[in-house]
Amino acid sequence: MSRVRRDRNSDRKVWVLVFVVISVFCIIFFAARGRFTVPFSSRAATTVLAPFQKITSWVGSQVNYVTSNIWEIVTVHQQNKMLRSEVEQLRNQNLQASEFAAENERLRALLGYKQSVTQFDLVAARVIGREMATWTSMIIIDRGTRDGVDKDMAVMTEKGLVGTVVEASPNSAKVQLLLDPRSAVGTLVQRPESRVAGIVEGNPSDPMMPRMINIPRNSDVVEGDTIVTSGFGGIYPKGLIVGTVGDVQNDSGGLLKIAILEPAVDFQKLEDVAVIVASREAPPAPLTPPQQTPGTETPVGDNAAAGAEP
Amino acid sequence: MRKFLIWVAFLGSAYVVQSAFLPLIAYHGIGPDLLLLIVVSFSFLRGSRMGIFMGFMVGLLQDLATGTFFGMDIFSKMLVGACCGAFSNRVFKEQFFLPIFSSLAATVMNYLILAVVVLLLGYRFNPILHLQMFLLPMLCYNVLLAWPMHLLVHWICDQTAEKK
Repeated sequence: MSRVRRDRNSDRKVWVLVFVVISVFCIIFFAARGRFTVPFSSRAATTVLAPFQKITSWVGSQVNYVTSNIWEIVTVHQQNKMLRSEVEQLRNQNLQASEFAAENERLRALLGYKQSVTQFDLVAARVIGREMATWTSMIIIDRGTRDGVDKDMAVMTEKGLVGTVVEASPNSAKVQLLLDPRSAVGTLVQRPESRVAGIVEGNPSDPMMPRMINIPRNSDVVEGDTIVTSGFGGIYPKGLIVGTVGDVQNDSGGLLKIAILEPAVDFQKLEDVAVIVASREAPPAPLTPPQQTPGTETPVGDNAAAGAEP
Repeated sequence: MRKFLIWVAFLGSAYVVQSAFLPLIAYHGIGPDLLLLIVVSFSFLRGSRMGIFMGFMVGLLQDLATGTFFGMDIFSKMLVGACCGAFSNRVFKEQFFLPIFSSLAATVMNYLILAVVVLLLGYRFNPILHLQMFLLPMLCYNVLLAWPMHLLVHWICDQTAEKK
């Protein structure tokens, strides 16, 4: 009798387990399609864990600092020899570098680099956590809604685009990296004669090399082309560098091409990032009068106004 | 209640260490999965039912905290907990090789479950490249940390066990 009851209990447990497993399986697909979200619990978990992650991250960086210092002390004799020989080389290079630095300064001013940066309001943030799962690429930063960070804000470093904020809690935020297969960024080839548009998405086969899809087969995308954000979609401002084309392949369908990108940002060494909390259109370039053929110049200024009088 | 809080604190700490400290030793972004090792050891020590429950709790924590596909870790870790728990009566729990071999099998199983889910979600990847880049480093890390994690889980299980 008791055996029959035990068997029934066991059967019931198996059925409950099967039901739970199937329910969770369905939840995955609903969540992936955006039909099921758990925003409050997710935010609560991030809010509670973020301070501890911040402390652990700080401890980790200190441990890293101390161990690297100890290692330097251990290898100091060997380093000393190498450094002496390097000093001579560097002295020569330093002279050359000063020249380059001055040239660089001039070129930066020429390109209006600073002006282009002022179109963004940036909030600097530290990376305090990183998801090491194999399928998605997320980081957690130490800035949240209290600092003006909100969902769908672009995240970048001085080298280029990092990703977008997908969830913000008061003291931290989750950032979906460019490498995540779920991310999709509207992009353009920066080269003026090309300007081919495409979508950059994470590459599940090689997560360190995102890919640009939807490139027409007859387009002139070549290796080495720089890819920048197009500004379509409204999340990413126009002109942020995404990466350079490392390889161009034909799509399996045969009508399109895929470009494999080398991202501009080193995602392995991501420690500090900046969140674009506001962006404005870059001020238009000042208009310059077109060059005129000698002898056929049209009058400008007061003379022009006077000439226009009947 | 006190025992439950001890486990919650332990899982929270393990997640914090995994997400904020272990990236320092990560290889190409891949590091050890401490939470998986906890589920494996706990399932062997406490049986299938508790293993499934632990898998659910750990998966829920990971899904909520990391922002991955919701439910994916719950699903995989529950199945890992169920499988490891099913063998709990047939193994010597003090054996040194138990956590080593079980972590290997659990890592592969967890990886395969997630791979199938990702494929069913419509994402394609190169399996050979993926195995080399992700599964192998993760196996190495998990095998290295399996024994210390097993000892830690064993110790907490003893501390929180019902006193007869």
